[in-house]
Amino acid sequence: MNKTWIVTSETYIRQTKSWSFLMLVLMPFIVFGFSFGMGYLSASQESSNDIAVVSASAPLRQAFIKDSGVSTTKKYATKAAAQKATDHGDITGYLVLNTTKQQQVQATFKGPDSLSSANRAKVQQFLQTVQTQLNIKRAKITTTQQQQLALQPKLTQTVQKKTSTDKSVKFISFYIIAFFVYLILSTYTGIMAQEIAAEKGTKIMEVILSSTTARKYFNGKIYGVLLMILTQALIYFLGGVAGLAFVKNSSAMHAFWQQWSSLIEPVLHNIMSINLLFALAAVLLYTIFAAFCGALVTRVEDASKASQPVIYLNLLALTLGLILRTSPTNIGVTILSYVPFFSSYFMPLRLINHVASFPEAVTSLVILIITIIASMLYIGKIYGGLMLQTDELGFWGNLKRGLHLK
Amino acid sequence: MLSVAHISKTFGSVKALDDVSFDVHDGEIMGLIGQNGAGKSTTFHSILNFLQFDGQITFNGQPLSADDYNLIGYLPEERSLMPKLTIAQQITYLARLKNQPASVTKPKIAPWMAKFAVKGQPNDKINKLSKGNQQKVQLICTLIHDPQLIILDEPFSGLDPVNADLLKQAILDAKQRGATIIFSSHDMSNVEEICDSLVMLRDGQVVLNGTVDDVREQFGRTRLFLTTDWSLDELAALTGVQKVNPLGAHRYQLLLNDADAGPAIFAAVTQGEYIQEFSQQPPTLDEIFRTEAGGEHVE
Repeated sequence: MNKTWIVTSETYIRQTKSWSFLMLVLMPFIVFGFSFGMGYLSASQESSNDIAVVSASAPLRQAFIKDSGVSTTKKYATKAAAQKATDHGDITGYLVLNTTKQQQVQATFKGPDSLSSANRAKVQQFLQTVQTQLNIKRAKITTTQQQQLALQPKLTQTVQKKTSTDKSVKFISFYIIAFFVYLILSTYTGIMAQEIAAEKGTKIMEVILSSTTARKYFNGKIYGVLLMILTQALIYFLGGVAGLAFVKNSSAMHAFWQQWSSLIEPVLHNIMSINLLFALAAVLLYTIFAAFCGALVTRVEDASKASQPVIYLNLLALTLGLILRTSPTNIGVTILSYVPFFSSYFMPLRLINHVASFPEAVTSLVILIITIIASMLYIGKIYGGLMLQTDELGFWGNLKRGLHLK
Repeated sequence: MLSVAHISKTFGSVKALDDVSFDVHDGEIMGLIGQNGAGKSTTFHSILNFLQFDGQITFNGQPLSADDYNLIGYLPEERSLMPKLTIAQQITYLARLKNQPASVTKPKIAPWMAKFAVKGQPNDKINKLSKGNQQKVQLICTLIHDPQLIILDEPFSGLDPVNADLLKQAILDAKQRGATIIFSSHDMSNVEEICDSLVMLRDGQVVLNGTVDDVREQFGRTRLFLTTDWSLDELAALTGVQKVNPLGAHRYQLLLNDADAGPAIFAAVTQGEYIQEFSQQPPTLDEIFRTEAGGEHVE
């Protein structure tokens, strides 16, 4: 059997069976499921945000419940019942509606807190409508007069909704991509560096290198982690498709989808594009260098420190990305969008802001892929020397010795 | 047959190996001895292609390549296993890397554990085992694929006499099936007991090479063990006696200047009468090691 494949399958099976990987993969679903579940549960229960409506006039009460737009409950029709429910916290309060002899509509709200500004406006609007109808009826005015009185000044606003949504799309898309890349990179560089450092620290490498070449072993490790990344991406993809289908088709989520689909769909489009390839390529490149850093550690106790150089580099790239997020045309952003280790943050930033063409993105991706291949070839070549160098010489000393150990 | 021919290796200004040559035949056990830093591990690393070196190493007439890795069983000096794996997972993984499928390895695990008296079950985690049992699991990993070339770097280190005997038996079993075995050790009694030949390194150079008996004989039978009523002073006054070491009641070790002095001493001490002990022997490997490995000379 191909020994590279043996190392690949061993790495993949061992890591994917670990709790840390399961938690990493399942956490977004758990968080989403928990949030949705909590929201659904609270929505399905009697809402304590409802208010009761009490009125001597049944038509007025019905009209309010039907037309006001305020979240109400029909349960409590009397003052006593409404007051009791308010005291128990079952409702936020109750509104008493009356019409005076002078045909003035009056409303009194009673509750532990004042009405929210939104509900206050809705109540006001309802009262205004009813009062106007009463006024017109009592004044006995003609239809023409009625129409003239109904005439309202017109304020026209041209809200450039597309622009504001577009800004949000860019903002959200970049943040999702940047933090997704950062978190995935941090996780996988940590996994890889610690795995390699632990193996080197336990000195099992001599046994392994008496069974296969350093290059085959190194490539097997990288392919194993690549399979993990693809597994995670596939699970997220399938989960995302299922989640999206649920949100689109669920009656409970219908209003949410109606409100946010114009934002969600372009964000998803930005993520499920060439930007995803940049993210996957970045994970691979950082993982290769994490393995390299892991090979520079000589003791098992230092395994956790092994990934630090790569994690700091990743943090630097993220920080620069966040700082320069609002300046996608900056020359620094343009340059960094072609520099491996940084391009996975900066080219997506330019693409999202429509300041980079597709050929530019492909060029950057090709540079990234060439760097990955060259890194694998070079590190695979020196890997044996690095892994067998076990003297305590510190990071740079180990690097120097490893490079010269032939 | 493993053939190491004129290999040299330099680390910076340090010459770790200097024109080292030796052969180990099929079914032969060779002991590689020398002080710390003499070049034993560097020799092993060169055989395993961990290092680039000058000279040539061949196995069955061909330079060792990646294809020959499956034929090798190697136990490094520093004990090393993956602590999070179970015994079965560890053995199976390393055997797979030697091209032995898991389906072949798994049925062999329990018998090998019994053979080495490993205290534990195949599904026990490595990190739950005692140090001694971990060492035995590593020995199983080294031998379970029936390697043709077995390289053991200080295999007896840390083993108690009972477990050392188990290992000796495993090495002898491998020899019986024709494996080529090379191991390093600081304990000369183990070398003397099971090795067919030995190579002693000093500062990267071969200072002794041959069968155990030949190596000992080349220093002459200058050790004379004697049980007699003679006094220490009387023995010391005999011609050809360099030094007398009392070993117990009426028992002595005489260091001779020349092995040829033996018959005259025999005649003088026995006077034609029976004596309980008169044994003229070459120096032990331990004596040779203590003197030769350090650059001194056997007295």
